[in-house]
Amino acid sequence: MKASFPNLGYDTYALKTFLEDLGAEVILPPPNSRRTIEFGSLHSPELICMPYKITLGNMLEALELGADTLFMAAGARKCRFGYYHYLHERALRDLGKECRFIPVTQYSPFDFVFKVMPGIFDVSPFRVMRAVTKMLAKSRLTQEFRQHLNRKMAIDFGGAEQAKPKALAVIERAHTLKEIQAARGEVLRIFNLNGTEPQIRLGLVGEIYFMIEQFASQEIEKELGKMGAEVVFERSLYRHIRHLLFSDPAFTRSGRLAHRYLQESPGGEAIRTVGEAVYFQRQGLDGVVHIFPFTCMPENIALEALQKLSEETGLPVLSLSFDEHTSRTGLLTRLEAFVDLVKRRKLGRRLHRN
Amino acid sequence: MAEGYIGIDVGSISTKGVVVDREFNVLASRYLRTQGNPIDSIRRLLAELGGQVDSGVRILGAGTTGSARRLAGVMVQADIVKNEIITHAVAASHFHPEVRTVIEIGGQDSKIIILRDAIPVDFAMNTVCAAGTGSFLDHQATRLGRPIEEFGGLALRAKNRVNIAGRCTVFAESDMIHKAQLGISTEDIVAGLCDAIVRNYMNTVAKGKEIHPLILFQGGVAANVGVKKAFELMLGHDVLVPEHFLVMGAVGAAIVASEETDGKGTRFAGFDVADTDFQTRAFECEGCPNRCEVIETLREAKVIDRYGDRCGKWSKL
Repeated sequence: MKASFPNLGYDTYALKTFLEDLGAEVILPPPNSRRTIEFGSLHSPELICMPYKITLGNMLEALELGADTLFMAAGARKCRFGYYHYLHERALRDLGKECRFIPVTQYSPFDFVFKVMPGIFDVSPFRVMRAVTKMLAKSRLTQEFRQHLNRKMAIDFGGAEQAKPKALAVIERAHTLKEIQAARGEVLRIFNLNGTEPQIRLGLVGEIYFMIEQFASQEIEKELGKMGAEVVFERSLYRHIRHLLFSDPAFTRSGRLAHRYLQESPGGEAIRTVGEAVYFQRQGLDGVVHIFPFTCMPENIALEALQKLSEETGLPVLSLSFDEHTSRTGLLTRLEAFVDLVKRRKLGRRLHRN
Repeated sequence: MAEGYIGIDVGSISTKGVVVDREFNVLASRYLRTQGNPIDSIRRLLAELGGQVDSGVRILGAGTTGSARRLAGVMVQADIVKNEIITHAVAASHFHPEVRTVIEIGGQDSKIIILRDAIPVDFAMNTVCAAGTGSFLDHQATRLGRPIEEFGGLALRAKNRVNIAGRCTVFAESDMIHKAQLGISTEDIVAGLCDAIVRNYMNTVAKGKEIHPLILFQGGVAANVGVKKAFELMLGHDVLVPEHFLVMGAVGAAIVASEETDGKGTRFAGFDVADTDFQTRAFECEGCPNRCEVIETLREAKVIDRYGDRCGKWSKL
């Protein structure tokens, strides 16, 4: 089996390790680029959200490289993302692409380990369990990597740019559980954080694909880092898997904290978006940036709730929706203005010198 | 010799510049049309500003803002290049420290800035289209065959303001024709247009923002007394058009330049930049499938600035 799946930020490494452990040969799609999104958009409905277009582009590019089996996250959680795999499959068939298409829905952990994965890969449940454990460990590693990277960028952007490829190489090399464990310390050492505090810290909330795959948001963490803002996040693949398997404390907490502003889940990840923003506000972060795909219904509802949170608490919130036409200039102007505003507010500096 | 700062605001439609003294009193100010050629308009601006102050002011710092702020910054060797939200807020709170809302409508964009205790706390900009901005008004004035300068006065003489659809230029235009064909007076239609602009602004840019006085109205459209009146009717508060409403962004740029340099000395190239040759060109990088559009600026045929690449391969000079 030559397996492939859409890129998922740094967690691509974790998913690759998982499939390899189950015996698949993994062919990664090329890194996301303008070609990916143009390719995907060409074969997508105009108003469908960006995650659909990019993932379809990934699949098309992976097939070009010789992949014969495609994995795609699925599972309806009252957001249309859950149905994308049906559309993907049809789109690929209409284009005459031959491949095996495997949607991975949110099964119960028991079914996943004992039935679904053994059925696909012809392996023992024990091996699946081991692979899951490793994927969990590796996605925790990528989560930590991203946290260190974001902090480093805010305090020393040049240093972060140099450290990043070294740290990624360490992550890619770590195969066994023991190596992954050792890599955690090594990644931290590479970033050499030495306790310097960034000027400001901003919480990042929003739609899950955007939270993980930085290409969609035009690398917003990097741009904010360049401006001296450390981006803090709660959502990650690691926490997602952990929450599916056991229960993740951060996820449970965000559900509880959202309640004041959003009582019913409008679908997708809106409840988490709101809950995490409340959490960041209570943690004393300097502001929140909210990112989501244009035409995303749940996040548009979260946006209203975030406005209320901002009014009540004075927390600066910047909501940004993206599609493939989003102007980079407009985005950077807004980010720069927001960072300036938060900095001036924090420093309490009067704008005028009388 | 007097000392001061220079601020330049290059927008899509107009190029503004000021020279201010150390207390930020405006010594010289110019407003020109960009006419799709910012390099030329920046050159003309510097020549005219230089002529106004007659080399009698020693420049301690230079700041640029507006959508061509980067280009302007490279050309004049500005000490700071700042986005237009902050510069407008800075200037507004300098002249009117008690300001809590800034409405800014320029040629192609519009924004709202909320301030508390002279610190900007929130902002929004129009997103996708230029409906409800200066270009829209300009276009409709042409359609009605009236100079834009007369528009405000016409609106004030309206007896019955009519309702014009303001969501989009195309719809507004067909609505205007329709109302005119009914025999409605030009005054009433123009007043309706001013209302449409304000309604559009309130529903898109200012959506969800708490608007408290003191409200300042800045940018080119603030010259239009009809729009100012429409804002007052809609908001139920007086709206103040500050003395330097046309060049507030430029004044703000000068103020942030003073904060930035703070006695450290300036990089400012001087007013004679007007005689230097500048060029800008764009090319598509073929290094990877992202095919970034890289923009470079040349001074006397030498590359002095590059940007637009995601990876940083070109922007490191």
